[in-house]
Amino acid sequence: MGVMKIEWLDKLGKRVATYWLGIVAFLMLLGLIALGSRYNFGVVEYAQFVLDGLRAGAIYALVALGFVTVYRVTGVINFAQGAFIMLGPMMTISFYEQGWFGTPALDLFTGALLAIGITTLIGVLVERLALYPARRTLPLTKVIITIGAYLALQGAALLIWGPQGHVLPAFTTLTPADQSFRFAGLLVKAQSLWIWGTTALALALLALFFERTILGKAMRACAVNRMAAQLMGIRVDMMATLSFAMAAILGSLGGIVLGPVTRPTYDMGLDLALKGFVAAIMGGLVNFPVAVVGGVLLGVLENFWAGVTQAGFKDLFAFVVLIVILVLQPYRFMMDSPTEVEPT
Amino acid sequence: MKHKISIDTQAFGVGILLFGAIAWLEFVKPSGYSLASLTGGLLTLDMLIRVGLFTIVLVGLNLVMGYAGQVSLGQAAFYGMGAFFSAILTARASVLGIPPALAQAWWWAWVVMLAGMCFVGGIAYLVGLPVLRLRGHYLAMATLGIGVVVYVLLKENLGLAHLNLTGGFDGVAAIPRLRLGEWTIWPVERYFVLVWIVAMGVIWVGLNIVNSRYGRSLRALHSNQSAAESVGVAVHRAKAQIFALSAALASLAGSLYAHFQSAVIPATFGFGESLELVVMSSVGGLASIWGAPLGTLAILLLREILRTQLRVILPSAKGEVEAVAFGLLLIVIMIFMPEGLTTGTLKRYRQWRAHRQLKKELSELLEPLGVK
Amino acid sequence: MKVRHELLLVVVSIAMVALFVACAPAPTPTPVPPTAAPTVVPPTAAPTKPPATTASPTTAPTAAPKVGVVYKIGFISAATGAAASLGVPERDVAKLVADQLKAAGGIVGPDGVKHEVQILIFDDQSSADTAATLARRLIEQEQVHVLVASTQTGTSTAIVPIATEAKVPNISMASARSLIEDPQTKKMREWIFKPVPENSHSAGKQAEYLKAVGVTKVCHLYENSSYGQDTLASANAVFPTAGITIVYSDAFDPKATEFPQLAKVKASGCQAVVIGAIPPASPVMNVAVRDALPDVRIVHGHGSCSPDLIKAAGKAAEGTVMPCGKILVADSLPDSDPAKALNLKLIKDYATVSKEPISTFAGHGYDALQWAIAALKTLPNGGALAEQRAKIRTALENLKDFPTTHGLYNTSPTDHLGFNASEFAFVVVKDGKFVVLPKEQWK
Repeated sequence: MGVMKIEWLDKLGKRVATYWLGIVAFLMLLGLIALGSRYNFGVVEYAQFVLDGLRAGAIYALVALGFVTVYRVTGVINFAQGAFIMLGPMMTISFYEQGWFGTPALDLFTGALLAIGITTLIGVLVERLALYPARRTLPLTKVIITIGAYLALQGAALLIWGPQGHVLPAFTTLTPADQSFRFAGLLVKAQSLWIWGTTALALALLALFFERTILGKAMRACAVNRMAAQLMGIRVDMMATLSFAMAAILGSLGGIVLGPVTRPTYDMGLDLALKGFVAAIMGGLVNFPVAVVGGVLLGVLENFWAGVTQAGFKDLFAFVVLIVILVLQPYRFMMDSPTEVEPT
Repeated sequence: MKHKISIDTQAFGVGILLFGAIAWLEFVKPSGYSLASLTGGLLTLDMLIRVGLFTIVLVGLNLVMGYAGQVSLGQAAFYGMGAFFSAILTARASVLGIPPALAQAWWWAWVVMLAGMCFVGGIAYLVGLPVLRLRGHYLAMATLGIGVVVYVLLKENLGLAHLNLTGGFDGVAAIPRLRLGEWTIWPVERYFVLVWIVAMGVIWVGLNIVNSRYGRSLRALHSNQSAAESVGVAVHRAKAQIFALSAALASLAGSLYAHFQSAVIPATFGFGESLELVVMSSVGGLASIWGAPLGTLAILLLREILRTQLRVILPSAKGEVEAVAFGLLLIVIMIFMPEGLTTGTLKRYRQWRAHRQLKKELSELLEPLGVK
Repeated sequence: MKVRHELLLVVVSIAMVALFVACAPAPTPTPVPPTAAPTVVPPTAAPTKPPATTASPTTAPTAAPKVGVVYKIGFISAATGAAASLGVPERDVAKLVADQLKAAGGIVGPDGVKHEVQILIFDDQSSADTAATLARRLIEQEQVHVLVASTQTGTSTAIVPIATEAKVPNISMASARSLIEDPQTKKMREWIFKPVPENSHSAGKQAEYLKAVGVTKVCHLYENSSYGQDTLASANAVFPTAGITIVYSDAFDPKATEFPQLAKVKASGCQAVVIGAIPPASPVMNVAVRDALPDVRIVHGHGSCSPDLIKAAGKAAEGTVMPCGKILVADSLPDSDPAKALNLKLIKDYATVSKEPISTFAGHGYDALQWAIAALKTLPNGGALAEQRAKIRTALENLKDFPTTHGLYNTSPTDHLGFNASEFAFVVVKDGKFVVLPKEQWK
């Protein structure tokens, strides 16, 4: 049966992709350690690079999950994802500063929930108002529409919150200064644990959703074959809206847990979105686990690279790696992957 | 087929007339009037020159994206490479040890411009051969990557900090104006004539490519690569060639930009600019050479109107509001004209004509029967 | 059909060559260059409405004897885009100044004639292209007397050739020396001015402090931007003369969240870390350095002189020092300082146009506009626009003991900045506030 074969191919593809990524990553790591020998770095420094990189990587992974969710169902690369990432922490800060309950923990929690809720609503509105009317157009047209949505949302954020950096308190201490754990010369911030925990939880919930619920299976069906899904009575339009809602949740959640580590600004989204996009591409834009692995690897390698060379070339590394990976795996990317979403 | 050509020719004629009229207006300035004063300051030579420069880039981009169907999210990189190639070899010639006698000759800048086109086109060809084997979003991602890599190299002085060739974030300033012998192509109205002669030449080349055997093979590989291959189209070479041509055109525009702006900075050629180019291209109409000038004009005019007119309606409007309005208008344009202004308008025009024709024929048929 | 195309091309090329030849015999600017049309007033009166002042733009010069022509200042800052955190305060302060001028009914010239002053405020989106387009528009269509533009070095550099060709004085709000001085010939650029201190002044002050406290080895971390690169270049030029070695320097991405550079800072064994960045990048780096090296001395550049530093870095900013304009420590200045009253008034007024506390960038915008206004005040009524622009330029070259938010400025034909590093206040962050750190307390 066709379906069986397709799943089998898909699994193989996944495995090969992971394997290749592993080899390339390992070779690069060796090269980077060779470069680092100039600075007499010890194990502690390298371990610190990995730890820090894992944190950035976890965020990239969360962003990538948002890209994959939308792409799988609608075939659209959603640049508005960058705006979702930014809206989460910005709104959380605004609600938190209202201090409705007087207890910072509760303020932060409700603020974050409200922010995620509103961002989700905005995600749904973007899909309903901007993309749904253009559902019959070329994929590139839809991408431009999401760029328009990103620009409008970013402009609105600048209007509301101004250009300066804002402060989201660390979740553990509820002050701008975070709790630090030090052991064996390593430094881990409490917020890093929140970030890792959130990413793991999000991945687990997504897996459960797609494997165990009817809705999740329906969404997967849309990804595999939209026409067939429609014929089976799945409301494809609703699935598209749902995917945007999920992307908005993932994006704003990622932004919120990242918030205390940085100083959120109105234009923080696009850079993160680009890195998340790179991670998502590694998973062929459809594969959740590989996208997560890609995001984490990107974070670690990038941090390693910045550590052992001039930091100004950080982005160069990320994108050279990307091109190398794309070109080295031509067989995978050149064939029309069975799960690739057909253009509408 | 015949119909299409005639529309192109008509449009070309209109373009030349417009160009001539504007040039006449600006050189003669009849009773003190200029383009800017006649259009209420909306159209200026500065803007039309920028439209011309982007037109040169977009004709190339449209050939790659609209006709060959290969998405490029890194076109600003080639634009920037051209600009910095010209800037470095003219304004920083002494650093590279180029004798002043050579660097100050009037023809040097033109030679550099041509060399830049060959250089950038050659690089694009070499990069294009492996990268253009990718499809769809992978290709988009790879070209985006090329764009970021070039941008980082420009802002990090190509990794050669001691030479300070690109000037880091501050870029290269004091780029000389272009000259023909002793005659400087400046002030601005002379440069306008130069840019638009080049732009129209590029449009003409673009139209010819589209209607040639080569253009047909591009469209064939757009609609079905395997089918195109099976009828003997050398798919990979054709893709790399058109990619190289578009890069060379972007480089040409970049060189002209450098001599116009007289100062270039890397920030002008980042990812945002690549996106802007794709936006202009889509708004104008991807699969249309005429989409290049129209899309650019539409976007630049839109920005200009937002900048100068929004505050008339909304006195409290400031830069932030412009950004929001631009994003929203972009969405609206893409929803109502998903194929871009050119293709969309042409389609509507044809529909309207067909409709009228049908009505006429129907009434001719029905009139003898006494039916209204 | 192909033939028709070829034919067309021939016709086109002939037409164009003809056009080109037609304008060729006029090498000197006989064909009415864009700016030499000061007498042609009618076509330029209508086009675009000025932003801030909705008052009648059709002020007739001859209506009342005591009212002269309207003076126009073109103001461009980066209200959106990468430099918005600098450009927005500048824009807000421009609005404030425009309102104040409107309330005062304008300025009075040396001959007792009153002139309305309009400030035309525009946003360059942090883009050099937009900045250039706007500068041309303001010069040619709006016929401004003087430009105040723009926020960043890159955008200001794009305006340099335009202002120079059109012979319009431009006052930039960016800090790079290359704006006012040609790096090759080391001569002042005739038409460009700036009231913004440079990183070399800042570095000089930092070196003075570091030497006094006995630091000989420093690390320099700078944000990867025009400003950051310039702080390193200045430090490299200045620090060695004070006997201070930069043992390690590297850039960091302004939006980065992880800083592997700190491993190298640790390994280098430097006694102090100099951070060359602007908020929000500088507080993020401040926190990261404090976490990794709890005891190291942290020195900022003058780009960090903003309440955003303290707000965003919190406790980690405590004890960090930096050279700053006087606006941040206005209340702790001695009463004899002419900058004190000026700054206190500006801080109070600024609160009416912005919710944010004042930063050094608002000060730059204010100073630039005050320069422009001071120059306009020296103009006698009448005369062609080109003459007036030239007179403004001369006035800008001869500011003597001019009080600004940064202290007293003295410009001259060989110095279009006129700033003396001793006018910098050296401040420390103490209990969440910027406080002057007098030399006796450097330890």
